[in-house]
Amino acid sequence: MNRDIFRSWMLLLGVPGLMMIGCEQQSSVQTVTVYVSEDQVFSEPVLRDFERDTGIRVKAVYDTEEAKSTGAMNRLIAEKANPQADVYWANEPIRAEVLKQQGIASPYQSPNAQNIPPAFRDAQGYWTGFSARARVLLVNRGVKEQPASILAYADPRWKGRSVIANPLFGTTTSEIAALFTLWGDQKAQAFMEALKKNRVAVSTSNGESADFVAAGRYDFSLVDSDDAVNRMRQGKPVDMVYPDQGEGQMGTFIVPNAVVLIKGAPHPNLAKQLIDYLLSRETERKLAFADCAQIPLHPGVEMPPELKPIQSIKTMPVDYAEIARKMLQVQPYLREWAGL
Amino acid sequence: MAKRLTLALAVLFFVITGALPVLSMLFRSIYIDGHFGLESYRGLMSSSHQWLLMRNSLALSSLVTLLTVAAGVPLGILLGKTDLPYRRLLTLLFVIPLLIPAYIIAVSWSGLLGHWETAGRWLFGLPGCVLVLFSVFLPVPMLLTMVFLRTINPELEQAGRLVSNWRGVLRGITLPLILPGIGLAALLVFVLSFGEFGVPNFLRFAVYPVESFTQFAAFYNFRAATAAALPLAAVTLILLWLEASWLRDKTWRVRPVAGAGRAPLIELGSHRLWLFVVVVCGALVFAVIPIVVLLFQSTGAYAEAFSRAGASLLRSLAYSAFGASLLVVLGFLIGYLVYTQPNRYGRAVDSLTFFLFALPGTVIGIGLISLWNTPWTNLVYATPLIILFGYLAKYTALTSRITVSQLAQISPSMEQAAEIAGAGWFRRMLFIVAPLAWRGLLAGWLVAYIFTLRDTGITMLVYPPGHETLPVRIFTLMANGTPQLIAALCVIMIVATLLPAGLLWSLLIRKNPGVGR
Repeated sequence: MNRDIFRSWMLLLGVPGLMMIGCEQQSSVQTVTVYVSEDQVFSEPVLRDFERDTGIRVKAVYDTEEAKSTGAMNRLIAEKANPQADVYWANEPIRAEVLKQQGIASPYQSPNAQNIPPAFRDAQGYWTGFSARARVLLVNRGVKEQPASILAYADPRWKGRSVIANPLFGTTTSEIAALFTLWGDQKAQAFMEALKKNRVAVSTSNGESADFVAAGRYDFSLVDSDDAVNRMRQGKPVDMVYPDQGEGQMGTFIVPNAVVLIKGAPHPNLAKQLIDYLLSRETERKLAFADCAQIPLHPGVEMPPELKPIQSIKTMPVDYAEIARKMLQVQPYLREWAGL
Repeated sequence: MAKRLTLALAVLFFVITGALPVLSMLFRSIYIDGHFGLESYRGLMSSSHQWLLMRNSLALSSLVTLLTVAAGVPLGILLGKTDLPYRRLLTLLFVIPLLIPAYIIAVSWSGLLGHWETAGRWLFGLPGCVLVLFSVFLPVPMLLTMVFLRTINPELEQAGRLVSNWRGVLRGITLPLILPGIGLAALLVFVLSFGEFGVPNFLRFAVYPVESFTQFAAFYNFRAATAAALPLAAVTLILLWLEASWLRDKTWRVRPVAGAGRAPLIELGSHRLWLFVVVVCGALVFAVIPIVVLLFQSTGAYAEAFSRAGASLLRSLAYSAFGASLLVVLGFLIGYLVYTQPNRYGRAVDSLTFFLFALPGTVIGIGLISLWNTPWTNLVYATPLIILFGYLAKYTALTSRITVSQLAQISPSMEQAAEIAGAGWFRRMLFIVAPLAWRGLLAGWLVAYIFTLRDTGITMLVYPPGHETLPVRIFTLMANGTPQLIAALCVIMIVATLLPAGLLWSLLIRKNPGVGR
């Protein structure tokens, strides 16, 4: 009887406990912790290659679509007094810039960052950009004359025929904040009001906008280039247009990934190794050929034919630090605009 | 002394893991920059968005409750009280959607209907959420109807049959007697749909749990997230009051009557065939088709799925198995306290467990972070302990309630006899009560395992780096992951749920053939 009861309790607590310990057992392998806002499906293979090439184990926290790619950044802010992460892989430089401004980033000038254009990295090394997305217009092929500027959103010709992702989240917020820095508050707010008047639909994400355009519910949408390439590779009847490329136009907004060394990181040396790896030409080549189809920032990196080299795109002349500051300022206005 | 001390420690542990995080979150929302204030709550009810969320949350929960009860009670009667063929097989089929995470059913329906634009548009929103949650929660009223039917003394119905046909007996005797069971089913379905995060999140329907998660995960704003959670807590308290004042005494000591198995079955006669066809069609649509769709969609993606999520799968199994074991122990102690002390203290502890069960997981997750994210508490915050604490906070109600109903079936004279013979409390628990209640403990472990394995609300917010579970991985891979990969991960998740559940269920049936009938 006693033995039966002992066995039962062992089965109830001992076996699951051992399973748990087995899962948690730490070997002597060195470990680096990274918080990632880039989609897991694209970032994880790169991190696995890093593990394979260096023997350093990577522990990662990934953002979900629902956290609108800001969950990891906000977790870093919440952990400022109790840092758990060594590195932050942001899917855009604005979040990295916010970390710098909040005193959560630490400067590091990676030797692999030398060939990356200065516009896409912080001068003091608090963050460094790599593998970029462009903010493009995804246009349904059923449209006779394709829009060539984001000003098409305010053109009565497209009334009720366009869609944009919720400007409170993700790269759409960054682009709207960029317009505020470029045009000034008055002109940018007038543009936002014109969007409302022109009955521009608001979707939950760039992915949803792309799906709507691919399905023909709307004629065009401003999305990330990876969303556009993805739909094109799926054979959807859509075209990708780099907006505002003409003479006197403002150019296309570019959103590079950015990597940050966290202040007070538990493993700073391993963190630097990971940062060097992410900023390498090889990582940029991998991300260009992955389904995320990101544009390399190092000159001369091989890329698929759908992509334009960064040098041949007229890019929007912006200061990401200024955008980060502006983004916080325009949040209340955007909330009001979105009716929240 | 040993009894008092152990039970008090169990309650204290539950308060630390469950109540303290929620209190900490509430405190942080009103204590701002060194002073108390209600700034976070200003505008809570003045914003039209809040009213939209409340309307959506109530509409979703009410519709799901109404439809599941309307269909589940007749279905329970058909499967539990008539001569419909293949009743056990059909019961098992209908139960499957309840066992697997609800968002997996949503993924499957989107895979099926997403190809047609109109159907896809219809799916993403309230109708789709209702469809998915209806299929997931339909077994709740069905099973509770079947259980409560076994509590009716067959002689009452036999007497009724002398003066009336079955329709009259059902209306005049059976249904009134199982009304508390139906009420409990309605309450459970309402609570589960009101706190559901995965399905409305996937099908893009704005409800409170999604809003609370977004406020926190997207902005990491404790105060806004707490404010967004307040209406959820208010509705939860109303439900708790309803449960305590109307249902608790009638439902927590359910005991099948002697001879219930020999109660006469309703002969369906000429209705047997068409009713059978209708029930089979229901089982096909709500249970079989979603799984078949996932199986077809996932062909060829398993190698990638295992390579990407193999470690997460093992972690999920380990955390859920250990979490379920801890829940059985804690639930047993709390259930024992609630059963043996039916006074204010016992009721307060029971109400607290139910309140935390009804509170959405996202709210508990935010509370846990609010309490444990400090350099001095990294033993909890930076390890899987925080996930286990979340499980204990949310799911203790399940195992404690199962313990209470199991203890009600054990004669108190057994424990009293051991006490007179000089056995101490620990010995009585270990050698008398626990062995007599083993079926309940095993059932409790199974239920706890299923609920912890499918959890996303808590785990997604609190998992430490490198400790993500399979549901979390499915969610993070949903952003731009291929549908084939997601479907394969969903199938793996279904197998991880159903395999241990099936093994334990067969053990329960083998040891006690009465179970499952």
